[in-house]
Amino acid sequence: MNEYDYKIALVGNPNVGKTTIYNKITHSFEHVGNWHGVTVSASSKEILFEHNKILVTDVPGLYSLTIYSPEEGISRDYIYDKNENLIVDLCEVNNLSRNLYLTLQMMEAGTPLVIAITMMDELKRHGKVLNYRKLEKAIGLPVIPIDDRYHSDVHLLLSVIIDIIDSGVKSTFDLPYLSELPVEDISKIIQPFAEKAGIESRFAALKILERDSFILEKLSLGEEEKKKIEEIGNWQDRLAAARYSYIDKIMDGVIVSSVSLEHKEMHEHTAHDVPLNETEDESSKSEDYHKKLHDDIQRRKRLEKRGYSGLDRVLLNKYLALPMFFAVMLFIFFFTFSDYSPGWWMQEGLSYVFDDLLHASVEDAMLSAGIWSWLVSLVCDGVIDGVGGVLVFLPQIVLLFLFLALLEDSGYISRVAFMTDGLFRKIGLSGRSVFTMLMGFGCSATAVLTARGLEDDMMRKKTILLTPFMSCSARLPVYSAICGAYFALSSGVNFKALIILGMYFLGALIAISYAAIFNKIKGLKSGSLSFIMEMPPYRVPTPTRVFQLLWHNAKAFLVRVGTIVFALNVFVWMLSDFGIGQVDGNLVFGYVGDYDPGQIKSFLEYAAGAISPLFIPLGFGGGETGWQAVTALLSGLVAKEVVLASMESFGGAAAIFGSNSPAALAFIVFTLLYVPCIATITAIRKEAGVKWMLANIGLQIGTAYVVSLIFYWLGVLFVAQTAVALSIVIALVVLVPATLIIIRRLRKKNRACNSCPYCNDCNKTLCVSDQDLES
Amino acid sequence: MAKVIPLISAEPNKLYRITEVTGEDNQHRRLVDMGFTPGSELFVAGVAPFGGTILVSLRGFSVALRESAAETIKVTAV
Repeated sequence: MNEYDYKIALVGNPNVGKTTIYNKITHSFEHVGNWHGVTVSASSKEILFEHNKILVTDVPGLYSLTIYSPEEGISRDYIYDKNENLIVDLCEVNNLSRNLYLTLQMMEAGTPLVIAITMMDELKRHGKVLNYRKLEKAIGLPVIPIDDRYHSDVHLLLSVIIDIIDSGVKSTFDLPYLSELPVEDISKIIQPFAEKAGIESRFAALKILERDSFILEKLSLGEEEKKKIEEIGNWQDRLAAARYSYIDKIMDGVIVSSVSLEHKEMHEHTAHDVPLNETEDESSKSEDYHKKLHDDIQRRKRLEKRGYSGLDRVLLNKYLALPMFFAVMLFIFFFTFSDYSPGWWMQEGLSYVFDDLLHASVEDAMLSAGIWSWLVSLVCDGVIDGVGGVLVFLPQIVLLFLFLALLEDSGYISRVAFMTDGLFRKIGLSGRSVFTMLMGFGCSATAVLTARGLEDDMMRKKTILLTPFMSCSARLPVYSAICGAYFALSSGVNFKALIILGMYFLGALIAISYAAIFNKIKGLKSGSLSFIMEMPPYRVPTPTRVFQLLWHNAKAFLVRVGTIVFALNVFVWMLSDFGIGQVDGNLVFGYVGDYDPGQIKSFLEYAAGAISPLFIPLGFGGGETGWQAVTALLSGLVAKEVVLASMESFGGAAAIFGSNSPAALAFIVFTLLYVPCIATITAIRKEAGVKWMLANIGLQIGTAYVVSLIFYWLGVLFVAQTAVALSIVIALVVLVPATLIIIRRLRKKNRACNSCPYCNDCNKTLCVSDQDLES
Repeated sequence: MAKVIPLISAEPNKLYRITEVTGEDNQHRRLVDMGFTPGSELFVAGVAPFGGTILVSLRGFSVALRESAAETIKVTAV
């Protein structure tokens, strides 16, 4: 018995807009973005459409049924299992021929199909039209062009789908190119095996021609058959070429320029070919000149046809690409965090509302009504200061997510992955890892998931391990609050913004250093990668989408603050404001504020006090308030926002660290580097296993401790002997890389060239063959 | 007949035609599946800073390849 009336799955190449359609159909908010491989797992949802219960499934994108990366396997299984009534094959109109390649493969497999063509709006903008009836006739499948911005188009798609399923779905197709291939010969050889495995023999034969290991394994052929097939030879290229030439035949005349564009082109042409005001003596050289101009235009047109983009020429310029990327990142940070920036004004406004308006008026009202002092403290210090202290960062966090979304949706982030690949390959990662790490600036837990698109397993796990070092948006409030209290504007230098920016750089620097170190360790070296990623076209993010994204992120943040942060905050407040102690020889239990200072200790003071001595070397574990700093860090394990909430309910940064500003600095460094939150740890366990999760916890806490220690003592020295501290920092910055370079040089010099046949006393510092051996 | 060179040494923004794709099974199949079939035209749209990775455009889309893959694609100038 089937509990659904219909079951459909959305399948197609990566970045064709499957999830966008899925979100529209099911009113979901699955993550979408303008890059390849956003969706890494299947998600299903039941909808009710015209009194029919339909189960809609969205799967990761795939290029071919013969898979290359693990998430493509999920989609392949959906196609092979044939549990769906219909597979909706989404094809992007800009890239139709490559999309149809997968369509052909599914037709070979006998999949029940309908083709939906997306991004129709972009085609219109390029002044072209799609003759979908012609395509329908040529390929023998129903074709529905849709514009995913409109609900009406999605509605149409669903109606047509139901109609197609009801009127019976075709699942055998006539594919003329198959006769050019030795399909029949192989089919005869493998017939009995295919029957046993339950695979159609014609399809199995095709997969054998492709050397698809998945199908080969399923068939489990005998030695004799294997030999026979080996004799037929390698047909991979010819099969692909046959499919593509069939596609070219189908596509002939399907996409044509609309009349208006032809008109425009004609004008351009005339303008170049008939020069105005031409004088006699110029005419001889101008013939050459105009021929060249004409050739240039023709050349450009041919390049454009194959995906040339003028924007890429600038943004991917060999020398300008990286500086431009850094400029973009700096702009984002200063726009969001620095004093007097838009982000700062919004945050100041909200803090005024919470601190000066809400806190003061509620406290006055409650006290004058004669409510117990502990309840006043709970509401004002615990809830309003704690939760409010986190809430004021809503604008900055939303701004950060907005910028990340713009990077993602415009298609720029894939270019970043491309341009940084040259650098990152040297440390055993790829540009694809940079991508995951950039997403880590938003949220570590979700960024970890984006690593799935990385094909090399070791590289993927290392990326997952190191991504939490990137400063996520939840850590930002801690830096901002502490820097606001300790490192505000002084002598014209905006130290606050610099320190916040420094935290982001420090996190990234540590992740990169670890990657470099890991790549030197034998068991942790990455495999080689050949295929990085496809570049999406540049797109202008639509206002609706940006607004949706802002609202979604703001909502997620508010929900977290309203639930986890609030609950934990009340819990921490209770444990820190109630306690037991000896008063006049009697053991008493009660509200700490009701007794003289020092008479009774709160529960948290006992608990966190037990481990706080560990943090004395970092400057913030000792003294009267040491346990408060440690409590804040411990509660931050649940979610990093709670670090600040706890601090605020203890009276804010200034009350905890007093005049010890190096300790405050060490505290933010520790916050940056220690284990991000339970959600991230769980995600790491799920993605990479328990071993890597434990490694991550150990690595992060260890790194946090050591680096904070260094920062604390440098800070102490800076306060006491500014000049000495500065010279040590400069010396370190200059000396460490210098020593590393010298050591490398020396090692290379000392090592003999082991495969140079030309001379025996060679002392070259660099040997090509040697490097090859290394890599 | 123009000279056959590996794609990695192709000049940027100049049209080439694929003559052959070599290399190990899995990677080879992925390349032909993506449309790197002999006879199709392509060009190098960009080279990553610090080298080794190139951006290749063909059939209306662009894909980043490392030299290990780009070396297996043999092309000739059109």
